[in-house]
Amino acid sequence: MNWSMVRRLIWKDWYLNRAGILFSLTGGLVTLGLVAASRGSQIAVILGIIVVVTILIGMGAIVMASIVAERKQQTLPFVMSLPISYWEYTTAKILGSLLIFLVLWTAMLASMVATILLAPGFAHGLIPFVVIMSVEILMSTCLVITVGVATESQGWTVGAAQVGALSLNGIGWWIVRFPDIGRAMSSATVRWSSTATALLAAELAAIALMMAFTFFVQSRKKDFI
Amino acid sequence: MNSSIIISQSDGRPMYLQIMEQVRQKVAVGEWKPGETIPSIRALAVELQVSVITVKRAYLELEREGVIVTQHGKGSTVARDPDLGPRLYDQEFEDHLRQVVRIGMLLGLSEDEIAERLRATAMQLETEAS
Amino acid sequence: MIEFAVEMSGVTKRYKHFTLDEIGLRLPTGSIMGFVGANGAGKSTTLRILMGLVHQDAGSVQVLGYSMPDQQAPAKVEIGFVSEDMRLYGSPTLGWHMNFVRSIYPRWDPAYADTLLRRFDLKAEQKVKGMSHGQRVKAALLLALARRPKLMVLDEPTTGLDPIARREVLGELMAVLADEERTVLFSSHNTLDVEQISDQITFIDRGRILKSSDKESFLDRWRRIRLVLPPESKLPGLPGVVNVRGSNRLPVVTTDQFEPAMVAAYQQIGVGVQSVDAMTLEEIFVASVESRREGSAQ
Repeated sequence: MNWSMVRRLIWKDWYLNRAGILFSLTGGLVTLGLVAASRGSQIAVILGIIVVVTILIGMGAIVMASIVAERKQQTLPFVMSLPISYWEYTTAKILGSLLIFLVLWTAMLASMVATILLAPGFAHGLIPFVVIMSVEILMSTCLVITVGVATESQGWTVGAAQVGALSLNGIGWWIVRFPDIGRAMSSATVRWSSTATALLAAELAAIALMMAFTFFVQSRKKDFI
Repeated sequence: MNSSIIISQSDGRPMYLQIMEQVRQKVAVGEWKPGETIPSIRALAVELQVSVITVKRAYLELEREGVIVTQHGKGSTVARDPDLGPRLYDQEFEDHLRQVVRIGMLLGLSEDEIAERLRATAMQLETEAS
Repeated sequence: MIEFAVEMSGVTKRYKHFTLDEIGLRLPTGSIMGFVGANGAGKSTTLRILMGLVHQDAGSVQVLGYSMPDQQAPAKVEIGFVSEDMRLYGSPTLGWHMNFVRSIYPRWDPAYADTLLRRFDLKAEQKVKGMSHGQRVKAALLLALARRPKLMVLDEPTTGLDPIARREVLGELMAVLADEERTVLFSSHNTLDVEQISDQITFIDRGRILKSSDKESFLDRWRRIRLVLPPESKLPGLPGVVNVRGSNRLPVVTTDQFEPAMVAAYQQIGVGVQSVDAMTLEEIFVASVESRREGSAQ
């Protein structure tokens, strides 16, 4: 694996999508900053979370743009004429999108946990739920990336983004029904149950599987252009 | 090194023949002197925008005629024969003569008619020259 | 130095409506090959397989000693590829692309790049999306040429270019060959260009290689012979005849194995030889394709 080429490809994608990336990052971080400044007023927090989640989903769109666009704009022959194989190309696409997403995601998770722990009026028992839901958001973004790289089709990728966004709600409600999670939410202390661990492990495993699947699909492609 | 050779695409003859003719002319006129280095096959090909294989063929034929000498790895030079110039001139004269006769025959002229036309033209040129 | 910059043998690729059938190609290092075929004949597919961008279903592909598609990453360090359907990124400038490519390839020659900018009449500050088709093609060529790769693979490099641009491009392609260790493979349906600068020529039609040979052999062996038949006689069947056109009394024979002895052979049996004409590469190509298509139709 030629990591210096991977770095250059990532830099290229970041440069080409810099407007969208900057907008999302700034918007997200500013919102989180405002939430922090409001010192945990419940409404501000809720609004803040909604905005950040929206931005996260919007980031999925950026991801789609950088991956699907290569085929639509016919720049694939140029990229693939560089001294790389599908390994470097795929890695760069996945990492490039993921890294930007992770910046915002980590900030969001950290600030949510901090708000819950430090601001008044938040039951600490919310934390396991918040962690699991955040990883769920990470999972749906990974789904968008996987489908985008594997299919290179706008239609499929948009579909994946919608599935991811909708499933947020559904999975959220489903998880709350687990007694270990639901009841723990209102407790004043963090109660990390084995259910929570199992759910988290399942999500992380799903992410790993998606990444592996992406590479597998890429390796089977016989017509790269 | 600019060879100042010009190739015409619309000339009906094969390109290698055109190259050969122009090289012979340059030697005949004395522009390229005996023993002088001439452009390498590749350099000439690049300059004329003509395939290497065409120039190679021209050079091979020229070497067979004794006009140039090619040494592997060292390039090509004009042959050191002092009679080369006048001999090439004579060869060109011969080529033109054959051309005239061929066209005359296509026109349906007889040998005598061709010779007569030749004499008339020679006389006319002499008159114009003086 | 490897003897053959490109060696393809038995290469097959099956699509729904088109098959590339047992393609074989050998390109000696230091030469330039013109790859001639009609639209849809399989030129682009062959070149993509060569670059490892499409995986063949069968057959071996060796480029600069590298096996494709498995070793395409190291191979492409030494190959410059430009295809007609290739697009650069629209919003950045040509200069951005030049810097990008320069950062990847150590052999980028900035002085030569500047020369090419001038020769191709391009501006580094111009955005790609504002460029005409011809400018984009030249820009892509510049990016490939300035790296001084050992092998240039070009899919229709002069298609859609005005005559001045075409001449410039052909000139730069020939300049590549000033170094006898560098090789050029280009596809074109402009037979004039191919005839002028190619050392080797390969014809492809409907997924099959028709003929592959050096240019001088092509031009030497193909002739059109105009004959005059005496009344009440038929044309004898001599070998090497590709087709016969014209009328019964004045047939025109096309042959791909011409020898001066043929003229004597015809005359000896009382057939008058009016003229023996050389053929342009275009005429040779058309005659080859027609004869193959007629042959396969039978």
